[in-house]
Amino acid sequence: MKKMLTLLLSAGLAATATQAISGPKEDLEKFRTHFEQRFPGIQLDDFGNGPYALDANKRLQWEDMEEFPPYDVYVDKGREIWETPFKNGKSFASCFGKDASKVRPKYPHWDKAAGKVVTLEGDINKCLKANGEKPFGWKKGKIAHLGAYLGYEARGKKLNVVIPNDPKALQAYEEGKRFFYAKRGQLNVACADCHVYYPGQRVRGQLLSTALGQPTHFPVFRAKWAKKGKGDGMGTLHRRYGGCNKQVRARPFKAQSKEYRNLEFFHTYMSNGLEINAPGYRE
Amino acid sequence: MKKLIAAFGLALLITGCNATTPEKPASKQAQYEAALKNAQAAVDKAASVGGEWRDIRWKKSKKKYLPSAIEAAKAGDYDKALKLLEIVQFQAEAGYKQAMAQKNAGPRF
Repeated sequence: MKKMLTLLLSAGLAATATQAISGPKEDLEKFRTHFEQRFPGIQLDDFGNGPYALDANKRLQWEDMEEFPPYDVYVDKGREIWETPFKNGKSFASCFGKDASKVRPKYPHWDKAAGKVVTLEGDINKCLKANGEKPFGWKKGKIAHLGAYLGYEARGKKLNVVIPNDPKALQAYEEGKRFFYAKRGQLNVACADCHVYYPGQRVRGQLLSTALGQPTHFPVFRAKWAKKGKGDGMGTLHRRYGGCNKQVRARPFKAQSKEYRNLEFFHTYMSNGLEINAPGYRE
Repeated sequence: MKKLIAAFGLALLITGCNATTPEKPASKQAQYEAALKNAQAAVDKAASVGGEWRDIRWKKSKKKYLPSAIEAAKAGDYDKALKLLEIVQFQAEAGYKQAMAQKNAGPRF
């Protein structure tokens, strides 16, 4: 009897330990498998097209839109920002390197020295400050235009977030993961509820996209964000995070807060291997 | 019997007086101040675990229950302020409980 109890207890502990040490790699495999089983006909890269991968009619409308995409003008504005020298004569290339196509695939990444997740937007403003320029706003406007240009230049390159074997990096990943799966707000809804368990379903008139592939196309041009008083349509991933949190009636965190940076770390890692196709168009 | 009637009359008189005496504004104010203190503490507690809900005090919320309660009290409408603080208290406590319950959230697959 004693042996039996010991055996059961060891088995229980082993199971708990396995669950506790389920690392990023295992998470990614399970995440991928979930979507492959849920949408067996969809190719991996097509998940980057969001709801347009799930609905044939919406896809047709989107393909029409892509013939003269509304984000084109902002890609050009971003190029101008990239090429315009700062007052000190330097430019963004002095911070990021001359090849604009290599910038976007580096983000987000773990900065060991700073002990935090670094995002593209964070480094854009860091570069501006270092060169005596005024930083951009975090969610829309110039920061999204420059992001759109860098995304456009990186089209076809694959997302490749690395989670280093560093306890702090793993903690940031785990925090991002927890944020993603935690229900929040008055509506008691998690990111995962819409984008893992119910993609393809509708919320009012909107078709829910899969979490797999979402970070590939940010910054995006959203028709909703082009309405009067909302901006020119362009917005960053953190702007969208804030919008989602607001919609479930949770108080949104600030763009580039630790919470959203960690979320971006986890969220983008889950789409590793997918092609960057930013900027995207979304309703 | 006479005594009984007198006692009954006296009781009626006391109850009547109580019912017709309006609550002093000062006591409403005290109630409001206590409720505000409790509500603010509950909101801070919810915020400390990232569990604050949108409509309590977020600047872009159309409702902003907590600032609206403070405004109502400033205008002397303590009844409205107390009603709003009740909502704040409930939402803050619920947000905290939700965040605690989701502390170990993870995938269901």
